[in-house]
Amino acid sequence: MMKTRKSDIFLVVLAVGMYLVIHLLLHSYFSFRNNGSQISERRSLVEKYGLSDLCLFTDSQYSRNPALTDLSAPFQDHPVSLEHFPSGMLMPPVGRRTYDLD
Amino acid sequence: MIELRNVTKVFNKGRSNEFTAIEDVSLSIGARRLTVLKGPSGSGKTTALSIIGAMAKPTSGRVEVFGREITSLPERFLSRIRREHFGFIFQNFNLIKGISALENVMIPAYPCGENHGVLRNRAMGLLELFNVSGKADSMVNWLSGGEMQRVAIARALINNPQVIVADEPTAHLDTKLSREFMGIMAQLVRDGRTVMIASHDPLICDSEDIGMVVSFRDGRIEGVQENR
Amino acid sequence: MIWIEKQRNIIDLALSSLLRKSGKNLALVIIYTAIVFILASVVFFISSLKREAALVLEASPEIVVQKLVAGRQALAPESYIDAMRGLRGTANVRGRLWGHYFDSTVGANYTIMACDDDAQLAAGTITIGRGMARTLSLKKGDSMKFDAYDGTSVDFKVGEILPYRSELVASDLILLRSDGFRRIFGMEEGSYSDVTLQVANRKEMATVAGKIKKLLPDSRPILRDEVLRTYEAIFDWRGGLLIVILCGAVLAFIIFAWDKASGLSFEERREICILKAVGWDTSEVMAMKLWEGAVISLLSFIFGIIGAYLHVFYTSYFLFGPVLKGWSVLYPSYQLIPAVDPYQLAALFFLTVVPYTAATLIPLWGAASIDPDEGMRL
Repeated sequence: MMKTRKSDIFLVVLAVGMYLVIHLLLHSYFSFRNNGSQISERRSLVEKYGLSDLCLFTDSQYSRNPALTDLSAPFQDHPVSLEHFPSGMLMPPVGRRTYDLD
Repeated sequence: MIELRNVTKVFNKGRSNEFTAIEDVSLSIGARRLTVLKGPSGSGKTTALSIIGAMAKPTSGRVEVFGREITSLPERFLSRIRREHFGFIFQNFNLIKGISALENVMIPAYPCGENHGVLRNRAMGLLELFNVSGKADSMVNWLSGGEMQRVAIARALINNPQVIVADEPTAHLDTKLSREFMGIMAQLVRDGRTVMIASHDPLICDSEDIGMVVSFRDGRIEGVQENR
Repeated sequence: MIWIEKQRNIIDLALSSLLRKSGKNLALVIIYTAIVFILASVVFFISSLKREAALVLEASPEIVVQKLVAGRQALAPESYIDAMRGLRGTANVRGRLWGHYFDSTVGANYTIMACDDDAQLAAGTITIGRGMARTLSLKKGDSMKFDAYDGTSVDFKVGEILPYRSELVASDLILLRSDGFRRIFGMEEGSYSDVTLQVANRKEMATVAGKIKKLLPDSRPILRDEVLRTYEAIFDWRGGLLIVILCGAVLAFIIFAWDKASGLSFEERREICILKAVGWDTSEVMAMKLWEGAVISLLSFIFGIIGAYLHVFYTSYFLFGPVLKGWSVLYPSYQLIPAVDPYQLAALFFLTVVPYTAATLIPLWGAASIDPDEGMRL
């Protein structure tokens, strides 16, 4: 009668777990490589219609088009911008300029 | 085989609660004998035992075990000496609760990195020797006093040490179990081991298997009585 | 070999020791796993969206020019387009017609956009995004009524529904011809929502934008790089916020784990005393305590990571759904492509496993000072 050692059970679980984690990395890597068509499909749609934002939140202008809205957009959108919770909280309007005027 | 020369142990040295547990103790203990360190509680016999067993370093004096001076050794070597040459049996047996009897027996051998199967068989053998193999997989908390005692002895023997050190082993045992314990110790001596027991239990001190009785009082040796 | 066998022995005892308080330790593993799970879900979700944004928006217009009046976006006149065509280094200058349409019957916002280049888009028909079709249960061939600016209503036939895979960029999109667009919103010929253009030399983008700003002082040119950077910032900000929200939970866990890992209970102290007394070295006792911490944290890490991966990429992050959805009526659903890399895992590892395992070592400064002869005095 030889009982399985606790340490062996643990080490096997650990090894399987580490294998799975490495497998996730490989899975992630290959699903990106194999899904190139999906990305290029989205890219061509963006190119064709001249889209400039991701469709993440649809509840307000400035969270639907964060790249294009101006700083006053949240105030235009609703007098209380937190009304668009949580997107209004998660997504501040971003306005920056990188070109120079000269 | 074990030599103590002018050994003094002071606890909490330099502080207000400083006290001297043993003072200027010189002692020579022969191999393959049963030696009893006798004395009332607080007389320093447990401290002497822990110094002999390489558990504590003396404040001053020298200790030689198997002809080797151990007072100057670093902790790492002391734990190795403890593991390889001594088997300990404590006052409440000090088994680790919540784990099986078998595992308790194997614990002193774990750091040696021995093959697990071999170690396990040896531990089972010892439990069989003491008639507790049926309880090998039971948690020690569920064992009776007698079973715990035998598991504790098996643990002391797992590394096949030359010396067995026991501190007040019968303090919590009834007469029957105390006699059983002394019987086992006597057998170990006959098998060629050295046994040292600190106790003030008359049942032990008056036993006829004893080779030498060292009496302690107030941290000093009061007298040494040779039986053979 | 001896070393390996020794470690296995020590792991044996560490596991026995953990199993002794199995209820408490199981609870610890569950909470710990949940924390890793949520942190990893956030990281996986965000990194996947981030990569998607970077790759997909690479194809967006290089420069978008808006006209601003009193700080608000206004319609761009034809003269804008002519002025920009006249600039050196610009190409493909086009007026864009787009906006938002609020559907009062379901309360959803759609993005509506005109497109005249699409041959499939006949007059009187619209192409709609998958999310919108879902919200309104529209099929190909159905008709949809729009409330026009003047109170009349205009009918369109659904000619095409964009594929599922396009949802990330076009879930709420309505595409139609520009005459239809102008009919709904009452926009005059020659005015546009904004103007897009391409730059012959990519390095010149900022220079061209500067020239546009000089030529049309009331304009606001937006570069593609800015758009990309906006998304970068949004995702960092959003991920950070979610983590801030989680902070309470994380802190509670830290306190709990700290207490659990760093305090030596009477029972644990007794155990260490016994081990030292029977000949274990301080380093071996430490190894055992380290293994105890490692068992808990490694298992939680592995379970949490695997759970998070399945959660984000196989169950469409169902736990985050309600958080991200908010007031949106039309909620895009998209299958994300995993973007997990070793660096993320390493970062998560160092944020979760290492602190816990290290915390288990702290009480051992105390344990190291336990004299072996204390075992005699228990």
